[in-house]
Amino acid sequence: MKVLFLTRCFGEGEASTEYIKSIAHELVEQGDEALVVGFDDGAYYSVDERVEVTRVGLPFEGDNMYNWSMMMNNELKKEAQDAFGDEEPDIIHSIDWTAFPGGIALSRHLDIPLVVTFQSTENERGFEGDNAGVISELEWQGAFESQKAIATSEDTKNSLLFDLDVPEEKIDIIDPFSDNWQKKVLTSYRETLKQKTEVNN
Amino acid sequence: MRPLFLTWEYPPYKAGGIAAHCEDLATTLADQGHEPVVVTYGDKEEVNYRDGVEIHRIPSTDSANDTLSWAMHLGHQMEKKAIDLYKNDKFDLIHAHDWMAVPGAVGLKKTLDVPMVFTIHSTQKGRDGVDSSYQRTIHNLEWYGTYEASQVITVGRDFSEEVKHTYEVPEDKVNYIPNGVDLEKFDDHTKNLNRGEFALDYEDIVLFVGRMYPQKGPGHLIEAMPDILDSSPDAKFVMVGSGATEHYKGIANQQVGNKVLFPGYVSDANLLSLMKEARVTVAPSVYEPFGIVPLEAAACETATVGSYVGGMKDTIIHEYTGLHTYPADSGSIAYQVNRALNDPGWSDWMGDKARKRVEENFQWEQISAWTVGIYRKAVEN
Repeated sequence: MKVLFLTRCFGEGEASTEYIKSIAHELVEQGDEALVVGFDDGAYYSVDERVEVTRVGLPFEGDNMYNWSMMMNNELKKEAQDAFGDEEPDIIHSIDWTAFPGGIALSRHLDIPLVVTFQSTENERGFEGDNAGVISELEWQGAFESQKAIATSEDTKNSLLFDLDVPEEKIDIIDPFSDNWQKKVLTSYRETLKQKTEVNN
Repeated sequence: MRPLFLTWEYPPYKAGGIAAHCEDLATTLADQGHEPVVVTYGDKEEVNYRDGVEIHRIPSTDSANDTLSWAMHLGHQMEKKAIDLYKNDKFDLIHAHDWMAVPGAVGLKKTLDVPMVFTIHSTQKGRDGVDSSYQRTIHNLEWYGTYEASQVITVGRDFSEEVKHTYEVPEDKVNYIPNGVDLEKFDDHTKNLNRGEFALDYEDIVLFVGRMYPQKGPGHLIEAMPDILDSSPDAKFVMVGSGATEHYKGIANQQVGNKVLFPGYVSDANLLSLMKEARVTVAPSVYEPFGIVPLEAAACETATVGSYVGGMKDTIIHEYTGLHTYPADSGSIAYQVNRALNDPGWSDWMGDKARKRVEENFQWEQISAWTVGIYRKAVEN
């Protein structure tokens, strides 16, 4: 199994970076493959050498995180396709709304299942800021277009259920502070792939 | 060829000139045997086929708090639709129109690995400046569009230079292709105007058509009105267009009372009739990458008095198809409008020449053929 991770940031100490690193490590330990594509903010990172990491720049400055992210995702998509070449991944895993647009587009284009991780939702964060509405809508799209939505807490699961109307069967709660959580994520991947195989057959 | 048009406006949705431009170009491409597909904004998701063009409409969001994030969201929606369409029938290239189409077009280019052509109709810098971070982001998007596009099309000769310098685009990437007019639309139209609603029988209609914003210069024409009336008391100014209408109406009424009329919404049919009926059309813009009004007036055999700026340097030939004025100069406007009004025979002659020039130089068949040439360059690169 080959998993493509899309993320806004990949630098030491970042919660989402540590999250991806742990899952990627577990993947390569089990003989699977992991490719991480993230924005290059110049931050240092260390990662298992069996994990392929590629980072992209963005020659565009936006006036806020939403607009910037939308354009950053274009670079992620291109970089990802260049990186995996003809060997397409089996799963695309977008971490956080900032990487959802890229995951959604690639998943549609390549017909590859999409898994999304919510560390929180805009509703949980207070629905504040000028772009709260469009960010929330993007979160809804990510959940809607994905085959599996991973919530990192019960609260986030509840927000997905009641704020974004995500079907319960689509949501897995996997707390990154629980035991063997990485294995649970891999199980989620395998279930998603199995579902896809069943649908295709 | 099968180009994918990405544009936020396509008739019947119209805000500016991009909608008409896209429709005329797409329709002519279809007439010439190409297969244009349009993905654009709509209130609901739907597809329709009109004049050989496949048109897909996609809603955007109600949650955006400004046009920029609205366009970003629309871009993502357009990209998803186009990805699905591409699976059934591939496009040869993506043709993006103006900054609002850049997010979606660049996204598609990167996802599908298809070349992109970018038509830039005006610049943020020229429209209202690059002062706030919001304006800078739009400016950056315009730059990003020119950077990612294989070929850039501009609608004015002067404007090409502006685009090259503003965005540092390599010379060989920028192409000037003018806008055009669909002469059939003008010829098929029978003038059926209740003239009395706009002017008295003996009055000469001096027509302004455009958005009521400083860029289009309505204030300079209003400033010139008293001087025009001193020399041409039978002039009647008809100011057609949306925008800050009440603002300009107040100023104009103070200046010349009932010698000016702001009719508000005017149907397309009435607008064509007005253009045919007008003694002269005035285009006092201070910034105008192309400026379609002189060409539309020309199609109606009406001469235009227009500022010597941007595209109007090309679309008006001074003392042959119309008259040039100094930009933002009410004295110059008054002088040239009076010249046109005081010699109606000459004005009619200029109107005839303007029409002939449009027939020879600004027809969509020609423009479409040039555009296909640009498409081929983009695809071959």
